[in-house]
Amino acid sequence: MEAPAEIDWPGYSLAERDWRWARVRAAAAKENFDCILVPLCVDGRNLHLSLEQARGTRSDGRFLTGLDNAAVVLPTDGRAPIVISDDDCGNDWIPEFRPVENSWGEAMARALGDLGMERARIGVSGLRRGFYTHGRAFHGVVNHGSYAEVLRRLPNARFENATEVVGHARYVKSAEQIACLRRGAAIAAAGIDKMIELARPGMDEGLLYTRVMQRLIGLGSEYYPLAFYSGLHGGGRLPRFENPAEGRTLRADYRIANEVDAVFGGLIAQEQQPIFLGRIPDAWKPAIALQRDMYDTALEHLTPGRPFAEFMDRINGFGEKRGMKSRLLMHGRGYGDDGPLFTPQNHGGRNRDLLIEKDCVFIVKPIAYSADGSFDTSWGGCVLVTEKGGVPLVKRTPGMIENV
Amino acid sequence: MPWTPPAGAGATVQIWNGYSLAERDRRWNAVRANAIEAGFDCILIPLGNGADARYLTQLRCSAMALPADGRAPIVIADRSSTNEWVPAPWQTGREWAEPMAEALGDLGMERARIGVAGLRGGTVTHCAALDGVVNHTAFEFVRERFPHAQFADATDVVGLVRFVKSAEEIAWVRESARAAEAGLEALIQLARPGADAGALYADALARLLELRSEYFPLTLTLDSIDAPRPRRYANPPLGRRLGANALIAGEVNAIRGAQLTQVSQPIVLGRVPEAWQPVIDLHREVYEAGLALMKPGASFAALVDLAAGLGAQRGRKAIARLHGCGYGDDGPLVTEKNGGARACALTMAPGNAFVWKPLAMSADEKIRFSFGGPVLVTERGCENLFTRAHGMIAIA
Repeated sequence: MEAPAEIDWPGYSLAERDWRWARVRAAAAKENFDCILVPLCVDGRNLHLSLEQARGTRSDGRFLTGLDNAAVVLPTDGRAPIVISDDDCGNDWIPEFRPVENSWGEAMARALGDLGMERARIGVSGLRRGFYTHGRAFHGVVNHGSYAEVLRRLPNARFENATEVVGHARYVKSAEQIACLRRGAAIAAAGIDKMIELARPGMDEGLLYTRVMQRLIGLGSEYYPLAFYSGLHGGGRLPRFENPAEGRTLRADYRIANEVDAVFGGLIAQEQQPIFLGRIPDAWKPAIALQRDMYDTALEHLTPGRPFAEFMDRINGFGEKRGMKSRLLMHGRGYGDDGPLFTPQNHGGRNRDLLIEKDCVFIVKPIAYSADGSFDTSWGGCVLVTEKGGVPLVKRTPGMIENV
Repeated sequence: MPWTPPAGAGATVQIWNGYSLAERDRRWNAVRANAIEAGFDCILIPLGNGADARYLTQLRCSAMALPADGRAPIVIADRSSTNEWVPAPWQTGREWAEPMAEALGDLGMERARIGVAGLRGGTVTHCAALDGVVNHTAFEFVRERFPHAQFADATDVVGLVRFVKSAEEIAWVRESARAAEAGLEALIQLARPGADAGALYADALARLLELRSEYFPLTLTLDSIDAPRPRRYANPPLGRRLGANALIAGEVNAIRGAQLTQVSQPIVLGRVPEAWQPVIDLHREVYEAGLALMKPGASFAALVDLAAGLGAQRGRKAIARLHGCGYGDDGPLVTEKNGGARACALTMAPGNAFVWKPLAMSADEKIRFSFGGPVLVTERGCENLFTRAHGMIAIA
């Protein structure tokens, strides 16, 4: 793969910006909003919730502006948006923005006033949990102090949740976004290769973590913490590390699980690869085979227009035929906290009526459980929805790696 | 306990949690004392305020209600996380509003005066967060459940405890400073004309991870030394190699023992241009005078005035810049933009740790030089934890 110095990526085009804005405006018009407000959102680094949520908090602003931290007022009628940011400088999309003087709340209220929204119906993205985005954020992602100030200063406007308006615009990816996710998936796969190369009994786990991160960043990924799990089978759930561990060494017969993410063009790709430091026990092999077949079946049925209800029931019921259990683990890929979210905990029930659409990108990593429930395994990666079904963004082989 | 935890949860994320129980009690008692002084019945650390929550629980993510009267706090945690400090928190999945409200109810706070940490930017914590850090929808839910309670900002109640480090914390501030300096050494060793800027970024960051620093973005300002607006990167630069005369100004951050520190020293690939030397000399003067000034009782306003005065005396410009070391967004925050307005009334105390990195500029502001790292205020004055010699590194 190319070294960072050889990567010639000019950033997203102005056409991409306009495509995104037009999608949001169209959805806002359909919902009769006069404008969409992406307010200041809580700081992911301070939030300390999951990696996805941390990255997802300010994702709508990044999607619409390319700036790290931005509030946006986007009028539905086609007028240019007003952007407020505390970034150092603008970019090709937003060469000039309004700085934050005294408070974000004051700046956002003024922007709404300048656009004549004093009595408008204003759609607020991120106010509550969404289907397509912010699915993990049960209480939304909006910063209290600034938003309360906006409400106080515009008492005659109507503010309503509009998370899905921006969320659905993010759900379907453009060709430019797909290209970035494809590169991200390839970088993540290279990170997995590095882990396979180094994961041996006696290896310092913190050093292994470091070398994999070094590989990911050294190929041009933004920093997104590797999630690393390790330990002997049978001792309960493996501990999860999102920073290099201290005082831990890999041992023979350790299981390793991971979520290897790479971020390119602001979009998070993920690949996942279980590793076993020893000979894979025969008792695990039926579940590993089940997982592979389940993944292939998922790709086959990941077709546009299909309701998720049908898709998830097929996957969740897949193991029964072989006397095992299976569960769908899958979610959208994008700027962070992308949905819909299917986990063994939530069973994906609230997403049943949503439709799979062409050019969506998901991380597909279903879980297979052995017949006695003592073993489970998940393998997966980024998958693009095409007319013919799901297509992996990077070619890899499902299964568990045996490092002897 | 009225809150019923959910059946399933994600995998527990392991984070560093090595402070002693005595340290926990010190922190909790100090917050309680500040709360009583401010007239609060309890302090709420709500969803969104992860830094204060980690400071008070050592959990990765939590919310907390800490009664001022000495009763044990109720802590809400996710992903089945527990530790020695908080062996039996209430567990949640992704629902935070309801357990926060239940916790306040359990503690009898229906008509109480409740201090909320992180509701606004504070004097010494959450300094860059002008509008605070609290999640709106969750907090509104709690407020609506307690119509007879009073909620008020209590950012400084916790912040002023975080501002003064204990001996345990100071040991980790030192360790963190050593790691940051090692990251800077890696940059110095690897920065050469023709080097891939992205690979340099990756390798320097890897050095920090090797030393088991928790992640914090490395920022590199990277451009030709005469570039009018040099580009700043918080991620690996793409499509760039270091040219001759490149100026690399890094803010190298490290986190050990949950204590964030930072060091900074510019590197030029080539000779230091003559025009820069007077600015570097001015900087040294400001930097050293600042170190001499720092002692218990000294005001941050004096530091601001000192820098501005020395700059004016030399016909150039100098600006005091600093921020606290600690759990994140620590203050006081004195920047070129804010002029230290919020910190002016504040005086230094033993146990303060902050990053001192003044800025010196030519009169036309085209030459800008900054250098610095963590310092510790002691009983006797100030200890500089950044051991590198002052100046710009020149790599031929």
